[in-house]
Amino acid sequence: MWAYVLRRLLYSIPIYLGIILFVMAALRVNDPVYAYLGKHASREQIDQKRKTMGLDQPFLVQYGKFLGQVFTLDFESTKSWQYETKSVGEILGERIGPTAAITVPALVVTTVVSIGVGLIAAFYRGRLIDRALMVLIVLGMSVSVLVFIIFGQYFGANWLKEKHGIEWFASGGYEPWISWGGTEGFRVKPGIWVYYCALPVLIDVILAMGYDTRFYRAVMVEETGRDYITTAVAKGATRRKVMFAHMLKNAMIPIITRVMISFPFLIGGSILLERYFRIPGMGNALIDSITNKDFPVIQAFTAVFAAVFVLSVILTDVLYALVDPRVRLS
Amino acid sequence: MRVLSRAWSSRAARKLRRNRLAVAALAVILVYFFIGLWLTAADITAAATGGGGFDDHRDGRGSLFSALTLDKVEARVGPLTKRGWLEEESAETRARHVKYYLSRFQKALRLKDPEHRRLELESIRLGERTVGVTVDQATRIAAEVETGYRELDRFDDLDAPAAAEGRTRLAELEAQVGSLFAPLSGWRQMVYDGRLALGTDRQGRSTSARAIYSIKVALQIGLIVGLISVLIGAVLGAAAGYYGGWIDQVVQWLYSTLSSVPDLVLLAVLAYAFTGSYFDDNSKPFLSLIPVYAAMCMTFWIGPCRVIRGETLKLKELEYVQAARSIGFSRPYILIRHILPNTAHLMFINFSLLFIAAIKFEVVLSFLGLGVKAGPSWGRMIGEATQEVINGNFWQIGAATVAMFLLVLAFNILSDALQDAFDPKHVG
Repeated sequence: MWAYVLRRLLYSIPIYLGIILFVMAALRVNDPVYAYLGKHASREQIDQKRKTMGLDQPFLVQYGKFLGQVFTLDFESTKSWQYETKSVGEILGERIGPTAAITVPALVVTTVVSIGVGLIAAFYRGRLIDRALMVLIVLGMSVSVLVFIIFGQYFGANWLKEKHGIEWFASGGYEPWISWGGTEGFRVKPGIWVYYCALPVLIDVILAMGYDTRFYRAVMVEETGRDYITTAVAKGATRRKVMFAHMLKNAMIPIITRVMISFPFLIGGSILLERYFRIPGMGNALIDSITNKDFPVIQAFTAVFAAVFVLSVILTDVLYALVDPRVRLS
Repeated sequence: MRVLSRAWSSRAARKLRRNRLAVAALAVILVYFFIGLWLTAADITAAATGGGGFDDHRDGRGSLFSALTLDKVEARVGPLTKRGWLEEESAETRARHVKYYLSRFQKALRLKDPEHRRLELESIRLGERTVGVTVDQATRIAAEVETGYRELDRFDDLDAPAAAEGRTRLAELEAQVGSLFAPLSGWRQMVYDGRLALGTDRQGRSTSARAIYSIKVALQIGLIVGLISVLIGAVLGAAAGYYGGWIDQVVQWLYSTLSSVPDLVLLAVLAYAFTGSYFDDNSKPFLSLIPVYAAMCMTFWIGPCRVIRGETLKLKELEYVQAARSIGFSRPYILIRHILPNTAHLMFINFSLLFIAAIKFEVVLSFLGLGVKAGPSWGRMIGEATQEVINGNFWQIGAATVAMFLLVLAFNILSDALQDAFDPKHVG
């Protein structure tokens, strides 16, 4: 098992090196210093900025240095350009919380709900409920993600508040809902989380559910045709037992793949949601830094996003090996 | 010809034709493509004649091609944030519209130099509507409307039941404002009504015209991104699967690398890379889209590449390929003549999936300010409608969503039907 994990880790190193190479090259196509300072900057200013960022060195040296920073998680030494007093590491630190507050619950809820709905659809395959669900999903998938977000915010926040006086959800903004240290010590305030994060999470779940449910249903339906199901039915197992005990277990591999695949989708979705609900998360910071040409932040954030992604892929493979021992040998 | 007739009578095509929903979807797609071609032709003729503006057809009827060109879609046609025809507008809003027209005329009439004033007045143009009165008449009518408009101030709320008198006065004012414009011929009146049918946005531009014009933009993005990505994916995937060895290693490394950055992040980085470049020029609608195309193609080719690589691995072990090898055909020949054509159905399916993905991605990118920057698009319309939605005005977001919904739904149905027809084992 450990040999397998180690092998997976080693395999993904060239991939991560490739990502960093690509991102660093792409960010240097246009002179980042010039893009940030504009055409009115003096020669000295440009040179100085370039020097502090190390952009005057050969590309390979920069590549090595940045890789060193990423692998030692040393983001404290580089300062952001738009917030001169803050280091990239500080920005990263304060942005991770809000993003996790949306992404993690959304991932969990989406998975549980869509597996459930997928099972129901597969269980009643061809019947009215299955067909209605599938039609609904195709219709929903044909509407832009942004429309769901705009209407979700309007009806969830503005409409409820103005027409019915219900103020459950904020139409935007964020406040930390976990506090530690200070006078209060460790405290979790779920009310604040619900007020700021529940609506984005709900929208995120609805967005991801269409694709996921369709996929899980297909997986379940495919499993239905397998021999072991026929055997189980022949031996007299009830349909319910076959469905939930035999099939769900065997469908684990595609389910794990899917959960992990939907991870970047959720990150992508959370960029939009963070932007729309003005939540100060990582996605929002990335888009901000792009509009403000804040080169150090863009570079570091992309590297972190990619790292999260690569780690999730490795985790997927490890989970495979846990669920299906045959994988370890191949 | 023979290839076509063989494709038409193939088993998969027959299955597709039996699926009525798929045929209907195909019809919808054809209508959209026809509109897209039409709009392209309109833009080309407009560019060729140097036309633009609203005065290129003084004959009263106007060429059909000239109703929807980029210039017209971007021009003001009426008051700001007017609602569509289904929604009865409140008297307060109507009064605001009267004020809008009035202020446009007053701005011109305030000029001191008489010649200048006349020219300015003549240049007032809202969609098909042009000024139909002389300077003196306009001055008189504008003064009357202004005093009339002041009288309306007596009423606190024009929509209140007590303000019936105010509302009749308002109707008169509207008629007077209408008389400032030249009467339109039947055809042009129809075109103008069509422009206002779904209301206007915050800059007074026609929502309906913009929603229709965006069809062209969407199809352009979908076609270019879909075709290029499928082509890249097919060539790389087939080569990787067939040759194996280091080619396979490189292709696999390439796609696992590119797919390890979330799409949106990658696109954001590429958008940054292109800023300030030759393509970052909003005056050239086509050129300014090239970064968007490049960014989408860069991630979208991965899907078809994986699928086609897998299919090629399967195909190359089949007897017919081995027969071709034993006859002595070269490997590139076998790849192009025997393997790629047999992955055509996968290319089809992937193309229609990517087509949808590209159109939907445009919306997201445009909202984030990284996508379409010049000219209308569904993404820009939906993004710009945010403020309107909070005020309960759903016309712009609705128009863009419905226009997009029909196209994407048709493609969704078609790609499902394609999958059913070509891959009987696939569970949709």
